[in-house]
Order: sequence, then structure tokens, then C-alpha cells
Amino acid sequence: MKISKVLLLAVTVLAGDAGAVTVEMTVNGLVCGFCAQGIEKRLRKFPATADVLVSLEKRLVAISLRDGGDIGDEDLTRALEEAGYAVKAIHRTDTPIAVLREQVRGAGK
Amino acid sequence: MATNRFLAAVLTASILAVPFAAVAKPVAFAGGTTVMGEYGAGTMQELQAFYAPSHRYSLGGGYLKLDSDVDGRTRNIAYLRANWLAKRWNLEAAQANVFAWGGVGSARGSDFSGQEVAGNAGAQADYETRRVYASLKSDFHDSRDFTHRIDTLQLGFAPYEHEYDRLALWVVVQARTYTGGIYGGTEWAALIRGFKGGTWIEAGVTEDGNLQAMLMFNF
Repeated sequence: MKISKVLLLAVTVLAGDAGAVTVEMTVNGLVCGFCAQGIEKRLRKFPATADVLVSLEKRLVAISLRDGGDIGDEDLTRALEEAGYAVKAIHRTDTPIAVLREQVRGAGK
Repeated sequence: MATNRFLAAVLTASILAVPFAAVAKPVAFAGGTTVMGEYGAGTMQELQAFYAPSHRYSLGGGYLKLDSDVDGRTRNIAYLRANWLAKRWNLEAAQANVFAWGGVGSARGSDFSGQEVAGNAGAQADYETRRVYASLKSDFHDSRDFTHRIDTLQLGFAPYEHEYDRLALWVVVQARTYTGGIYGGTEWAALIRGFKGGTWIEAGVTEDGNLQAMLMFNF
């Protein structure tokens, strides 16, 4: 347990995005990687986007925001709809996207 | 004949019973382009390119070549087409879609002279989870001298649940029928499909031992 926490912290520091705002979205219909690439393509068009994470396993789309940048929930919902998917929930956290990415990879093993 | 009816009933029941997946879709995502090429066991070859201004519709064109397995007649059809996502169900761990399309083009054939106007219409229903999928597609081409319908049923199974940035692998069974003297009976094929990122490749063999393959790009 302690080791995993240390590893998470190390990932956070190495990623250099400690304190960054991450928007996590729970998305329905997320079953095909080939089809879901439109999500990443669309979200990266926002100037405030720093990074995007898509996880089919977790039904998760996460986006990290650049310092001082923001994207409204309505704009995010519309962007996901334009990609063909339905957003069920949106919330903002301080969890760096690099940590989420490690969690997703860990869950897939 | 009775055997064919039985198979059709079994296939229909399968579509209704199995949670319907990694299906080639004629509409990608808003701003997305799809380019696809299919080699259908020497009987059909098709190239398509579509651009989707919205996730609801796409516009583009294609080229279809049919070589009859029955009497050697050929069709060469070039068409412009609009595809429409009529309905999508985004479920918690599944997605289902109904697409429809229509278009017009020109056709040449070995058993008539000159070039003819040809209409194209079709529909597709599909359902997919990360482990199973089913799709049923019907594509109709009609001109003054011919009418052909190509019906394709695919049932797929994924040996593992792929992640977004990992290789997806599917084992697919395909049944296809052609009307209008292109092929007699049902053409069965077994396929292996893989996709990662925007590249999709599938290949397999029909029961006659012919190559069935498709290559698709989304960008």
C-alpha cells in the first residue's frame, strides 16, 4: 500500500502537473477504441486542453487543463456528443491525469 | 432450400438474442474521415471514402465491382452517397446503432451496353459490447438493367476486452448473400480483425477458400 502511494507520488512529480485541474467524465457507449478516437481528436481542439485520457474499462474520459485554462461542462458535453457519445457525469478533481493513467493501466493488468 | 431457411432463422434469432460491436460504421465522428477498401472473395471489391461534418451524417462516395460467381457477369458501379445515423443507443457497457444511406451513380455491366444511372440505398443495424458484437447490413444497387442486394451478417467475439490505446482483436463469422445472379446461396467466411488507433485490418477465408479482407482508416 505504501509502495503504491510512493509510486503514485513519484509519477505525479515526474509528470510535472501537480495541482493541475483534471475533469473526469463518465461516458456511456464507450466500447470501441477505433470509434472512440473522435473523442480525443475533438477534446484536443480546446486551447485549454493539456492532455486527454480515454479508458473503455472505466467508462472514463479525462482531460487535464492548462494553467489558467478552463472548459465549461456544457462545452465538454457537446464535444462528447459530437463524437457520438453520452456524458453521464462530470466532476473536477486535483488528481493529475498521469495518476489516473497509471490507475487505468493497473486495472487493465 | 429448407436448410437455408433454417440458417436464416438461426441467424435472425442470434441477432435478436445476442447483445448485438466493433462494427465498421459509415458515420465516424464530427470532422472525421473514413477510408475503406474491401476484397470480398473475388465476388465483390469496394472502395469508399466518407467525411462526417457531424456525428449524425457523412458524405462521400465509393466504387463497387461485382464479378458473378454464377455466370461471369460483371458490374462496375461508381456512386456518391449520404449516410445517416438514424438512431444510437449509448448504454452503460454497450452501443447500438441504426444507419441508413442513399445515393446515386453510374454503372457499367458486361451484359448491357453503355453507362446507366444507378441508385444505391441501404441500412445497417449493429450492437456491440467489448466482448461480443453483431451487425446486419443490407446494400441495394439498382439500375435499368440490374438489381442487386448484398446482405451481410457478422457475429464477433473478442478473446479479451481491449483498452483504448491497445490492440483490439476480434474473431468474426460472416454470412453474405447476393441477389441478381452474383452468387448462389450463402457465402460463409471466418475472419480475424484487429484495430489500434485509426487503423483497422481484417482478413480471413470463405468456405470456398477465397480471401476475404478489409482495410479501413479513420482520421
